[in-house]
Amino acid sequence: MDVKLTINGEEKSASVPPETTLLRLLREEFNLTGAKIGCDVGDCGACTVIVDGIATNSCLMLAGQVQGRSIETIEGLANMDDYHPLQKNFEDLGSLQCGFCGPGIILSAKQLLDDNPDPNKEEIQDALAGNLCRCTGYTKIVEAVADAAREMRGNREAA
Amino acid sequence: MDENVKTAEREVTLERLREIDDDLRLPAVPEQVSYPIETLIPEARTQTPAVGQRASRPDGRLHGLGQTKYIDDLSFPGMIHAKIKRAGISKARVKNIDVSEAEKMPGVMATLVGSEIPVNSFGPSYQDQPVMVNGTVFHAGDPVAAVAATTEQLALDALDKIKIDYEPLEAVYDPIEAMKDNAPQVHEGESNIYSSKVIQKGDVEQGFEASHRIYENTFSTQMVEHVPMEPHASIADWDGNGRVTLHSSLGRITLGRADIARTLNMPINRIRVIATVVGGNFGGKNEITTEPILALLSKKTGRPVKGVYTREDEFMSSTTRHPFIMDYKTGMSKDGKILARKVRLVCDGGAYCSWSETTLGKACILSAGPYNIENLYVEAYAVYTNKTMTGAMRGFGAPQVCFAYESQMDDMAHDLGIDPLDIRRMNAFHEGSASPTGQVLESVVVRDSLEMAAERFGWQDWNK
Repeated sequence: MDVKLTINGEEKSASVPPETTLLRLLREEFNLTGAKIGCDVGDCGACTVIVDGIATNSCLMLAGQVQGRSIETIEGLANMDDYHPLQKNFEDLGSLQCGFCGPGIILSAKQLLDDNPDPNKEEIQDALAGNLCRCTGYTKIVEAVADAAREMRGNREAA
Repeated sequence: MDENVKTAEREVTLERLREIDDDLRLPAVPEQVSYPIETLIPEARTQTPAVGQRASRPDGRLHGLGQTKYIDDLSFPGMIHAKIKRAGISKARVKNIDVSEAEKMPGVMATLVGSEIPVNSFGPSYQDQPVMVNGTVFHAGDPVAAVAATTEQLALDALDKIKIDYEPLEAVYDPIEAMKDNAPQVHEGESNIYSSKVIQKGDVEQGFEASHRIYENTFSTQMVEHVPMEPHASIADWDGNGRVTLHSSLGRITLGRADIARTLNMPINRIRVIATVVGGNFGGKNEITTEPILALLSKKTGRPVKGVYTREDEFMSSTTRHPFIMDYKTGMSKDGKILARKVRLVCDGGAYCSWSETTLGKACILSAGPYNIENLYVEAYAVYTNKTMTGAMRGFGAPQVCFAYESQMDDMAHDLGIDPLDIRRMNAFHEGSASPTGQVLESVVVRDSLEMAAERFGWQDWNK
């Protein structure tokens, strides 16, 4: 089955077996291993990517369903010169420990901040409800998202 | 550079060297009692500039960028994928395993069964765990066969083609039942009890006689799975020189390497274990799992073999926290002093010992709580059942007994009409208290901690 899609702004195509999930398409065809296989049944959120602006469990979506659509992965959030305020604040606060849930959580948070630049604590918790973390207890993660939101609002006002 | 060393380069004498050496040494503390002690012990906060500073984790940036490479993110040229067939039955004799249909499938490169493992046993205390079932199934998550194929999907499909004939045997699931004389034996032997411990201090019966009231309760805790976000994963590569390299999510690589050498019956220097970032361990990745299976599949195929647990594998076969059944009998004085305590712990170890002995020992010592108890009797048993095996998990038995003694403490305080904080303060260890096993304790701050905590969260207001 041939799939054409946009990943992090670039047009890509691949030929894969029909049972291939979006998660396996990204990891195995395009070597974008930031999205993780945690449960493979949509419970843990480690595979979260953004599909047409919506944070999505990529293990529950087939490659055929993303035909012509636009995908953002964790690898698209940074380049050699700069990285996303979410990534910076997660690093500064030590929000991640083993790090396995990190890419998924940062992408869920990115969709939240894209839609709502000034979320309160409950809104942040709600946006991350689909992402499990077993190490941290979430406190520093929620703080980092709030800090990133503040920083991004500051940058927007300064611009 | 040190000035002394620089000038000493040419004109150094033995005497001068001794002087330099003396300058660099710290005076030995016990011998020079007259020496002002402050200058000998540096302030904790000045020992290292790191104390009191914020630090970011060295791996924090890569985590956030999604660039950390866990085992499943690695791949090697020609790499194939292995999947494990689980028994799905908790006690049985395997009459026959037929892998021929699976081997015929296009893309399947090799299969493996238990009889092909050179030394089919391992374990940190007792070597009672087989790498793969060879004859008898001890719990439903036991691996019975393995398949290596060119893709994960093909390997999974091939598992369905493996035909196994089981003769079901009587299983036992309840640890109390398993302790009885006529209980079905999980492993061959005379008893399912494989470890027991006793702690005795003072005279517990005399203590009960002197008590104003005696409280008897039974507490139990459940099995808990670690659920690391990253499932167990390894890649094995058996090279032409007869060396095997294992990239693994193992947390204890030296112990693992010894177990791999044992099970493969190979000199340990032929085995290289490369550990990388682990996506959550919590004690559950301390022992080998499928590493020998992957190594042998790699030997059979000449390819690197990756094996990643599915979440189902993780729940069915990886270690869990020990369930405990805990009988507490405590004698109290009228004013809330613990006079005697008798504890009986039954630790449900599941199918294999793993770290149960260690866990039982720690649970035993901690089962009286951080309280001064003159008359104490603790007996504890670790028992086999035909359930998912237990193993290391944060606390090693401490959380289970803590739940029991603190729950009983609250009940007793309520019944005696004493404030729960006061009853703990009254009984808590102090400087120089002896632990149940006779260790004299130093730097005891349990009362200070209790009081500080109570003040910080407003215990007195909340209690009204």
